[in-house]
Amino acid sequence: MLKNLTQFYHPATIEEACVLMAAKDGKNAVLAGGTHLANVADISIEGLVDLHGLGLTYIRRTDVGYSIGAMTPVQDIFKTSVFTGPAGDLVRTAAGKIGSTLLRNSITIGGNLVGVFPWSDLPPALLAVDATALCRRGIPKRTVDVKNLLETHPKNFLDPSEIVVEIQFPEYGKGTGTAFRKLAKTANDFSMMTIAVRLTLNAELISEARIALNGITKRPQRRMEAENLLLNNVPTIELFEAVARKSLENLEFCADFRASREYRQEVLGVLVRRCLEEALQKARS
Amino acid sequence: MKLNLTVNGKKCSLDIAPNAMLLDVLRSAGYKGVKKGCGEGNCGACAVLIDGRPRNSCIVFAAHCEGARILTVEGMGTPDSPHPLQKAFVDHGATQCGYCNPGSLISAKALLDKNSHPTEFDVKEALDGNLCRCTGYIKRIEAIMDVSSKQKSSKPALGGEE
Repeated sequence: MLKNLTQFYHPATIEEACVLMAAKDGKNAVLAGGTHLANVADISIEGLVDLHGLGLTYIRRTDVGYSIGAMTPVQDIFKTSVFTGPAGDLVRTAAGKIGSTLLRNSITIGGNLVGVFPWSDLPPALLAVDATALCRRGIPKRTVDVKNLLETHPKNFLDPSEIVVEIQFPEYGKGTGTAFRKLAKTANDFSMMTIAVRLTLNAELISEARIALNGITKRPQRRMEAENLLLNNVPTIELFEAVARKSLENLEFCADFRASREYRQEVLGVLVRRCLEEALQKARS
Repeated sequence: MKLNLTVNGKKCSLDIAPNAMLLDVLRSAGYKGVKKGCGEGNCGACAVLIDGRPRNSCIVFAAHCEGARILTVEGMGTPDSPHPLQKAFVDHGATQCGYCNPGSLISAKALLDKNSHPTEFDVKEALDGNLCRCTGYIKRIEAIMDVSSKQKSSKPALGGEE
């Protein structure tokens, strides 16, 4: 419960929301879907800035891919007919794996990204499709890589008055395949392990590769050393096994009541290999 | 602070605390059909329609609902004139202890409002957040499919006032 919450703001514009976030010495917080804030005991928050009325609920086709308003419920992403390719498939699959229908109607893509929760399913998918985030600081705006946003952590990356208003990602054509796996105790439970993979083939050589994960470490991340092993190589089972082993290296595995460090380590390699095989099959089809 | 919203077709102005959850505000206002289960968004007993979307009211800040249209189970039907879904739940024995019924009915209504002829898979997916401690999962699916089969139009034809 937010015991010290005394103010609830309904800004009419993004500029107004940014001004509110800049005020009160960091004691105002952004309210997106609210599913996390409703369950935490944070005595530092004195005001909530509700982004609900800012027109940030949309999914649009662009020249190169898609743009999604930060306040779009993940249920809309799961059910959208706008997506037509492998990147869209990956993001849609990830959105559909989040919680239940009731939760997906509250959880937003912006909140799921900026919250940086270890159990979030969308960030690995967004990393795998090279997504970017459009940030507004009043009228000034900038587009940043989701990878940089997550590596630095949005709390440190964004200015206190800066708000993520849109997520963008490109669509990929023939020769690209994607795969997604979530391992959880039940379909609605928090993820113990989330993996997203994208492979692009060029004349049977792997020309682009992304392996992103969450639930295993404290923060979503890409496995770039493992990705590099794939580049300019012919995909084989032996290569995928080597990449799966590489993806385990230099990782600080989390442990909790859902799964031990050892269990996560054991299963991660298997799931990475399976994702690579599935993505390859789709890239060839 | 004041919260202005429409509950079951009736405009209300309620005094609320900024940190109050919609579930508690609705129950305090007399809408006891909205049930408190887990209080963490996991069980679905507190589900209501907020501007047509089924959501867990236990994790929705009440103040977030300024100007919203809310539908609780009380707005679906009455004992004398039950909603077709409520009647079907009774006819198919889907009520059991009853605690999950308000949330399950709200999720079912949201589904049929969008898709009057869902598949069994659609029904399971729409109610995946409504846990039934009595494990009465099959009967509620049968009840919803029964209501769906009696609908002629592909357009929503069910009542309930938001």
